[in-house]
Amino acid sequence: MSTYVYGITASSHPALPEDATGVGQPSLPIRLLTAGELTAVVSDAPEDLRPKRRDLLAHQNVLAEAGVAGCVLPMRFGSVADDDDAVTQVLQERQEHYLERLRELDGKVEYNVKATHVEEAVLHLVMAENAEVRALAEANRRSGGGSYDDKIRLGEMVAASVKAKESDDAQRVRSELTPTAAAVSVGPESTGWLLSVSFLVARDEAEHFVAAVQQIRDENPHLELRVNGPLPPYSFVEPGPAEPAGSTAGADAGAQ
Amino acid sequence: MSVVPAQQSGGGGGSSGLYDVLELVLDRGLVIDAFVRVSLVGIEILKIDVRVVVASVDTYLRFAEACNRLDLESGPNKSPGLPEIVGEVTESGARGKSKGALSGAAETISDAFSQARGEGEKESQTQSRPRARKAPARRKEEQE
Repeated sequence: MSTYVYGITASSHPALPEDATGVGQPSLPIRLLTAGELTAVVSDAPEDLRPKRRDLLAHQNVLAEAGVAGCVLPMRFGSVADDDDAVTQVLQERQEHYLERLRELDGKVEYNVKATHVEEAVLHLVMAENAEVRALAEANRRSGGGSYDDKIRLGEMVAASVKAKESDDAQRVRSELTPTAAAVSVGPESTGWLLSVSFLVARDEAEHFVAAVQQIRDENPHLELRVNGPLPPYSFVEPGPAEPAGSTAGADAGAQ
Repeated sequence: MSVVPAQQSGGGGGSSGLYDVLELVLDRGLVIDAFVRVSLVGIEILKIDVRVVVASVDTYLRFAEACNRLDLESGPNKSPGLPEIVGEVTESGARGKSKGALSGAAETISDAFSQARGEGEKESQTQSRPRARKAPARRKEEQE
């Protein structure tokens, strides 16, 4: 039976609730494997494990629960060891490294911030700031919408302005929040947001961080900020060269 | 909008937050080479570059239409940061349109995002514009 690994924590870490369960259907019971000063939070691995909603949630929930009592190094979803012995062996071999990471991340949590534009508010801004766009839009409107070429011309101008705003706003949100964080890790670009960035925040600084987010919201009605946290420090577990590609673009920028 | 950070209390539970942390759960976190990782076929959809989508003719046309519909009187003559503008946007259901702009293949995931946003939106609607139409947002939620 292979072993699903959720995360690694200190063996002094308080135990999870007796009935904690994780991935699989029905959910498999959580176990703790201890080797020296480290404990791995594991369960049996389901045979047909896939990144399904239910299992992703289970992974996240186990880590969230374990994280309440103290720092846990979260594994990426879907990490499976051959058996329990393979897990404890890794704990033994890399004890120093993981203990160092646990010390470094102790008392800190991750907040992920995603920003999107409120489209019509952004279009208002673009029109307000750009007389040429405004004139073209007005002309199109008068002529019942404008010809295909007119529309393309207007749309292209607007798209360029919106795009410029996206990168301005992304840059600004990032730099306004960075002072409240211990480290920053920029996430991948995607269709879902104009900015995704994770901040490592000391638990007792979280209030300031959240206040800073709120201030940006108040000052920028055209921006929508979604904040998720406190989360296990997914983006800050591995600052070393073993870092998985693509997960870290900005980790260095915020390392200090 | 004025949404209090989700999962303030420990991070558990809510599935609306899942899509926002998906990228982290699937793409970050500790990787140990001695362990196998489950195949993530179908998940790469998250990586699509938004810029490809934005620079399309469809997007241009859509922006042009959106500009035509904008109420110019409340646009250039007012300070763009005024809260009424947000109210307007909420009321006219900009949510669905911005989804159109920014989503391509990642439709499902965007829907989930919209849903999460819709929840926050509802809050602010109740606060500032009790008469705002809520039908579009609601319909979306039912689809989920």
